[in-house]
Amino acid sequence: MTLDPALLARLGPLQLRARRVMEGVLTGLHKSPHHGQSVEFSEHKEYAPGDEIKHIDWRAYAKLDKYYVKRFEMETNLRALLVVDASGSMAYGRGAFTKLGYAATCAGALAYLLSRQGDQVGLLVAGEPDPLSTERLPKGVRSYLPFGASPAHVQELLRRLEREEGRGTTSLAPALDFAAEKAGRRALVIVLSDLFDATERTVPALKMLRGRRHDVLLLQTLDREELDFPFDDPTRFLSMEDDRQIDAQPRQIRASYLEELQRFLDGTRRELARADVEVEQVATDLPPDRVLLRLLARREEA
Amino acid sequence: MGALAFAHPAYLWGLAAMALPVLVHLFNQRRPRPLAFGAIEFVLRSQRQKARRLRLRQILLLALRCLLIAAVALALSRPSIRPKGAQTATQLGPQATALVLDASLSMRYRLGSQTLFARARSEALAALDRLGTDEPLTVGLCAGPNAFLGGNIGAPSFDRVAARRLLQNAQPTWLGSDLSSCMAAAAKALGESPLAGKRIIAFTDLAAHSLRLDAPPPLVPPPPLPNGQVGQPIRPTVVLVDAAQGKELPNAAIIAVVVRPATTLGARGYEAIATVANYSAQAVVGLPVSLRIGPETLAKGFVDVPARGTAKKTLSAVLPAGVVTGRVELAHDEGQGLDEDDGQDFVVHVPRDVKALLVDGSPSSLRTRDEAFFVEAALAPARTGGRIVAQTLDADTASNNTLDDIDVVLLLNVAAPPKAFAERLKTAVQKRGMGLFVALGDHVDPDAYNEAFGDLLPRPLHLFKSAAEPGTPGAEEHAARFGLIDWAHPLFRIFGPADRESLESARTYRYALLKPEAGQAAQTLASYDDGAPALIEARRGQGRVLLYTSTVSRSFSDWPIRSSFLPVLQQTVSYLASALEDRAPQVLLVGDERPLAAPAGAQIAQVIAPDGKDAPLRRDQTGLALTVGPVEQPGLYKVLLTVAGQKREEPALAFVVLADPRESDLRRVDEAELKAQLGGANSAQVAASAQAAEGAHGLPLWGGLLLLGALALLGEGALTRR
Repeated sequence: MTLDPALLARLGPLQLRARRVMEGVLTGLHKSPHHGQSVEFSEHKEYAPGDEIKHIDWRAYAKLDKYYVKRFEMETNLRALLVVDASGSMAYGRGAFTKLGYAATCAGALAYLLSRQGDQVGLLVAGEPDPLSTERLPKGVRSYLPFGASPAHVQELLRRLEREEGRGTTSLAPALDFAAEKAGRRALVIVLSDLFDATERTVPALKMLRGRRHDVLLLQTLDREELDFPFDDPTRFLSMEDDRQIDAQPRQIRASYLEELQRFLDGTRRELARADVEVEQVATDLPPDRVLLRLLARREEA
Repeated sequence: MGALAFAHPAYLWGLAAMALPVLVHLFNQRRPRPLAFGAIEFVLRSQRQKARRLRLRQILLLALRCLLIAAVALALSRPSIRPKGAQTATQLGPQATALVLDASLSMRYRLGSQTLFARARSEALAALDRLGTDEPLTVGLCAGPNAFLGGNIGAPSFDRVAARRLLQNAQPTWLGSDLSSCMAAAAKALGESPLAGKRIIAFTDLAAHSLRLDAPPPLVPPPPLPNGQVGQPIRPTVVLVDAAQGKELPNAAIIAVVVRPATTLGARGYEAIATVANYSAQAVVGLPVSLRIGPETLAKGFVDVPARGTAKKTLSAVLPAGVVTGRVELAHDEGQGLDEDDGQDFVVHVPRDVKALLVDGSPSSLRTRDEAFFVEAALAPARTGGRIVAQTLDADTASNNTLDDIDVVLLLNVAAPPKAFAERLKTAVQKRGMGLFVALGDHVDPDAYNEAFGDLLPRPLHLFKSAAEPGTPGAEEHAARFGLIDWAHPLFRIFGPADRESLESARTYRYALLKPEAGQAAQTLASYDDGAPALIEARRGQGRVLLYTSTVSRSFSDWPIRSSFLPVLQQTVSYLASALEDRAPQVLLVGDERPLAAPAGAQIAQVIAPDGKDAPLRRDQTGLALTVGPVEQPGLYKVLLTVAGQKREEPALAFVVLADPRESDLRRVDEAELKAQLGGANSAQVAASAQAAEGAHGLPLWGGLLLLGALALLGEGALTRR
């Protein structure tokens, strides 16, 4: 079963949406072989045919003259930082979701999934700081929630996500610098952004993050209209981040627009792949659970 | 460069559709809808490189679309550049159409590779093809006295096959044509069609002689109105298709040939006087003219003819005796112009040999005193070319001589003959057609003469009158002169005005007066100035009797020593021997009819036209009188007789038919006046071809427009595709 984004968008609060997506993901995982493998020992279990022979604890056999299989606890101290771009361009979306809404849903679902595994999840909302905010945050960071794994933490995270709206210019680079600083030791950094960055500093920042041995995953969120450019009427295109504007005949520039966009997408993907940054380009009309499942499956393979 | 004309001007409204691309353009240029867009960066990048090109393309696109629509709309309205002089006379809707094809002689004019007629006929066939299926049609060939060949033009019908066959089989005639009458008749025929549109398309050479500017314009009789009233006549559209395509048609023609004896050349000397007309604007210099008898050219000459003028050329030749048929013709170029009028045939009856018996009533050993001296001298073989064989006998010998082979007997101052001889003479004249010439003198006793000859004389003699005594003073003034002379008579026809003096100056001192008319008609050919007849002729049976009331010696008159005596006497002998044609040559024109009389004992079997075919013959109820004609072809017609079951040609009956000399005049009618006469530019036009005259005429432009439209469409497609 998949979740229609349009249906999902009607579900209301982000909590519900994120949970729904998470459930979808779990349903999709089904019989996931998610036993910890490299992590701490948790208990012994009496051997039953079908268990891995290599897991038989020979010492216990020596002591107890019975076959016991060692079971390990999964590593619980995985730390994941969700970096959500809340710039003006992320507010685009005339369908079920804005890009930001979609990103938030995905991020929420991920937060649920991770905390359910006992991993610690942190949130960094990138964007121009809220002028009313009393938090002392560096430039480019609108909001930061440190790592945590408790359900209450997740609820707080979701609440913050829900509150966000896209505005201001994209300045992901300082936010990523800040993330690199906060993530500390090796962590999973999941970036949800359209990467429409006028400054061209985002990609180097991502590479730098990767350079610090963080596991970096980019969910490049794009609206279907941005991908297909389905406009016909003469349109005055207004920038969502500054006061640039342009009158254009969409039909006449479509080919050239698509060419430019494709060049950007391919360029980004190629560059980041070279730096071993995983890139998943998603359109907001795809079911989020499907997207996440695909993401997880790929990571499993890796 | 002529005016632009549209066959279907209604389609020009289609130009309004040009508003469509303009609206599209404005729609595209309308106030853009604002849209906050995330990926504006790429829009900016795309737009920046294209903005200028796009603007240009917009304008180009607008222009191409406008062009496309304009080209299609214009092409649908079928525009054309009309040649100069052609005006709009196109009516919308179907029209009853009369195709009038000029089939006159002048249409045989060769221009380029074909005759005007062939050109006109193919134009007519093309016009037939272009007629709409809802347009009834009638076709007529315009030639001859009845306007149309074969009487009249039929009512318009839809029988295209018959019309096509008629046109395909049409041949030019040698007849004249009256196109004005033809168009009037065609207009009348168009009245039979219920269609409102009426059109006459005439295919002609526009020669001025067949288009009469003073004739009323052709009018279609109005259809009867339901209330019984008569409406206004309708003026049809008249299209004159110029087979000559506006070209001048220079032509020179022989319009008349007169053949007459030329006394200076001897007995059978003849001169043919040809009148050559030049209808072109340039003078013709050194035009060769030749006189041919059969294959032989007897005389040649050159003639200069002024522009639009005539000139006479005289060609002389000595002709053989009998009926001579010949031809006077101009040198002509076979391939060009009108050849049919470059020559005229003629038939001339050259007097045959005549045997004359001179009965000398007063012979003398002194030659000059002999009564027959001057007559013998006049008829001497040296002077007549040997065609008159004269034998002189005294009265007694003559009365015992046979008259069987004698053609003419001349009694010169003979005393009243014995009754038997007079009877023989009378029989020979009346039964055999012998001629009798009686000249008087001192041996003649009027009463004895009247007794002896009875009614053989044209009029009985009365008594002699002396006008003056020769040799006495003042006799010259008192002597009688010839007063009235019938110059048209064959005897005197040979005298031109300049030659008449020698006849008029003759003095006669003594002559016989005649008793009044006895009942049988006699014709006075010449009379003295007191009114007394000098030469009087009467027909008696098949022969003629000619009485000269004075002497042919110098005793009563000095005429015998005048130069006019000799030709008159020669002519007299020929005339009395029936060797001279006694009638003025009958001029027969193409299209005429002529009665033919067969000589006794023979029947006319057939008349052969110049092309070797039989000419039409018509017999009246009695079966005796024959009429030949209407003759279609100019030239020499031969007559075959059936005599005793044998067919043979009778040259004496041959006759010449002349083409209508008016047809040689190919000067063009004044187009402006013609159009004014036909109702002005709105209803009449003159064009080089029927297609050109149909409004969709002149230089057609829609092909080019359609091409332009197609190119615009291609360009538009290429621009929008990108």
